[in-house]
Amino acid sequence: MIDRRDFVRGLSVAAVAASGLFPRESAEAQATSKAESNAARQIAPTTDSSPLRLGIIGPGSRGQELVRSFLRVPGVKIVAAADVYPPRFDQLNHVCGYQVTAHNDFRTLLDRKDLDAVIVATPLGLHAQHVLPALASGHHVYGEKTLAYTLDEARQIVAATAQNGRIFQVGHQYRYSPWIRAALARVQHGEIGDVTHIHGYWNRNNDWRRPAPNPSLERLINWRLYHEWSLGLIAELGSHHMDIANWTFGSTPTTALASGSIVRWHDGRETDDNVQVVLSYPGGRRFIFTSMTNNAKMGDQLWLYGNKGSLNLTLEDATFFYEPRQITRPNLNAKGEESGTTTGASYRPSGEMPYRGPGKPVEIATAEDPTTAATRAFVYCVRTGTEPIANVHVGLGSALGVIQGNQARKEKREVEVPSAG
Amino acid sequence: MHPLWIPNRTVADLLPVIVRRLVATTVLIAVSAPAARAQAPQQRFHETHPAMGTVFTIDLYANNQASAEQAMNLGFDEIDRIEDLLSNYRPSSELMRISREAANSPVTTDPETFQFLERSLYWSRQSDGAFDITVGPLLRAWGFFFHQGRVPSDTELAALREKIGWRHVLLNAETRTVAFTPAQPMDLDPGSIGKGFAVDRVAALLREQGVTSALISAGGSTLYAIGAPPGSAGWPVNVPDPRHLDSREAGAIASTILLKDSSLSTGGCTEKFFMKDGHRYCHIFDPRTMRPVEGMLQTTVIDPSATDSDALSTVVFVLSPEASKRLLTSRPDSKALIFSQRSSGRDCFAINWPGTPCDPLSSHSQKESYP
Repeated sequence: MIDRRDFVRGLSVAAVAASGLFPRESAEAQATSKAESNAARQIAPTTDSSPLRLGIIGPGSRGQELVRSFLRVPGVKIVAAADVYPPRFDQLNHVCGYQVTAHNDFRTLLDRKDLDAVIVATPLGLHAQHVLPALASGHHVYGEKTLAYTLDEARQIVAATAQNGRIFQVGHQYRYSPWIRAALARVQHGEIGDVTHIHGYWNRNNDWRRPAPNPSLERLINWRLYHEWSLGLIAELGSHHMDIANWTFGSTPTTALASGSIVRWHDGRETDDNVQVVLSYPGGRRFIFTSMTNNAKMGDQLWLYGNKGSLNLTLEDATFFYEPRQITRPNLNAKGEESGTTTGASYRPSGEMPYRGPGKPVEIATAEDPTTAATRAFVYCVRTGTEPIANVHVGLGSALGVIQGNQARKEKREVEVPSAG
Repeated sequence: MHPLWIPNRTVADLLPVIVRRLVATTVLIAVSAPAARAQAPQQRFHETHPAMGTVFTIDLYANNQASAEQAMNLGFDEIDRIEDLLSNYRPSSELMRISREAANSPVTTDPETFQFLERSLYWSRQSDGAFDITVGPLLRAWGFFFHQGRVPSDTELAALREKIGWRHVLLNAETRTVAFTPAQPMDLDPGSIGKGFAVDRVAALLREQGVTSALISAGGSTLYAIGAPPGSAGWPVNVPDPRHLDSREAGAIASTILLKDSSLSTGGCTEKFFMKDGHRYCHIFDPRTMRPVEGMLQTTVIDPSATDSDALSTVVFVLSPEASKRLLTSRPDSKALIFSQRSSGRDCFAINWPGTPCDPLSSHSQKESYP
């Protein structure tokens, strides 16, 4: 079991490494005690109940889930909402237990002077259209992943965050998952050796549709299935895993390969119902993402493979597995002589079988829902002017993999991934 | 050495089995009806989903498989969402966050979780502590949490006294905060109300989707009926008479309810219990004695709200039948059927319940419509 000091240390090392500011080794060296406590403090429970007023653009299903989490932070009140689909307002009022002022146009919401921050949970293709004006009008923003639909838009959001001196946190809530943080801190300390491959699975067995009350609303409700606003499974599911790959490797990818098809749901959708992406990282390292929607056996999980072991990450836990010992120095007797060798077959047939035994779970005292932790951390950052763990650069990092991964899928060839800088 | 666990039997099992028999044939009742000309007949669809330590089922009538699947997927997603919220097995649940942290300082929670806690404490107040979600430590001490039944010593139980009690949970509606006093972590257990809470949420969601006929079941112990199957007065639910389990009359039905826009919950020691030295220890506790309830066989409650019927099936299981009668007098919409295990005197009590369920012979062929 990891002790608290190691845990806190691991947090900031991982966070700094992931920011891409320093190579991994020097990041470890430069991690100051102040940075360490900052990361832990963002996630820590709070009793600060000073009023904090939020507006939300896009209170759909994910938006309502975010609101539920935000309402677990003392002092938070949702005071304004903007949406083009009116039934969302009633649903939001139900979640909040009070009336939230409804805006039919997001611009009138952004004109308000009484908001401390704005949540953007609209379809991916509209993120930049909502996030950029929100930042320009002086609002701090909690923006859902993926950061943006195009590289140009993603870079504009990065620039606008800096120019306006605002706080931007991206919805990569796994950065706030206690078990993932604890496990990755141990990986950073070398627990499974050098991690060279990460495999991410996000498999489901359903059509990924939501019921549309009438056909005219199909593209609005099921926007994930149409190219206009969606980058499909690569973005909606893969972006979380790409973020964890960036975090683990301490780098953004350099090239992307991808493929996909519609194999099961021939229902007029445009986005693929199964995708495979390979992202290359410096030093020959690889992240491999696969997603399918007609078999849920693998569920949502990541495997980090190092030469000394493996780490399995899921929505609820983290488990380590260790490789058998490899080459060791021979044990010499007291006189420095080798003992005799017995001949025999060295090949163990069982050695090629997958390991089916138990692993070593990561024990943590305060496992909590990552979105609950992420929203609380955002409020902390707004109140204190602190840079979020999942900042705009984290958002850009996974957007690079998503957008170029999708480009590779479209062009059916390997494409370069530009650097985050 | 280890007490014997009897797999799920009878009460909770019988209900879905009986319902399932109906499912086996696709029902196209409306075909010959005049209304069929106006609209294609709806078909019945059935699906199961494991969650909350049991198996949920949804039966619903829909125009086609695609719309049935969409509605069911939404319903099952909703159950998973509520499990994420209220699970006492998942450290990441909102309920476990509260259990851990409300001793340190008041915990702000979301309106939905707060409403759940308010309703739980409401039933604690109403039942004078017979219902209590703070019994988590008891389920652990008696081995129910990890399915390893054991009988704790008196000393062990005495040490738990301070860790249990709904009065230690303070709710502030204005700030939506939960605080424990005295300041010590508690172990909130949603077991006797959470499934009903989930069933209510699914019913609301299916209604929003335009579903007009469905039966939602949480392992058979809590049911909610939306409307009725086409051409009928309600969803038939058989309440078994548990007094005759070991006799030739095993399988006797005390009452058949045609459930419509209402819920029905059953509590029984026939479902979860352990045997030790020939004694049956029930998973339903009397929080006031900190011991499993003795002498009660089965309670069934009908109520417009599944949250309430779930809680009430425990309330009347723990209270004496007389006390239950007093409690339900002021709630004409709540109906209870109680079977106790008394060696002499009455062993069946019907409160606001239709028909004569305590006389199984006469009720064999009797169908009661509710409401």
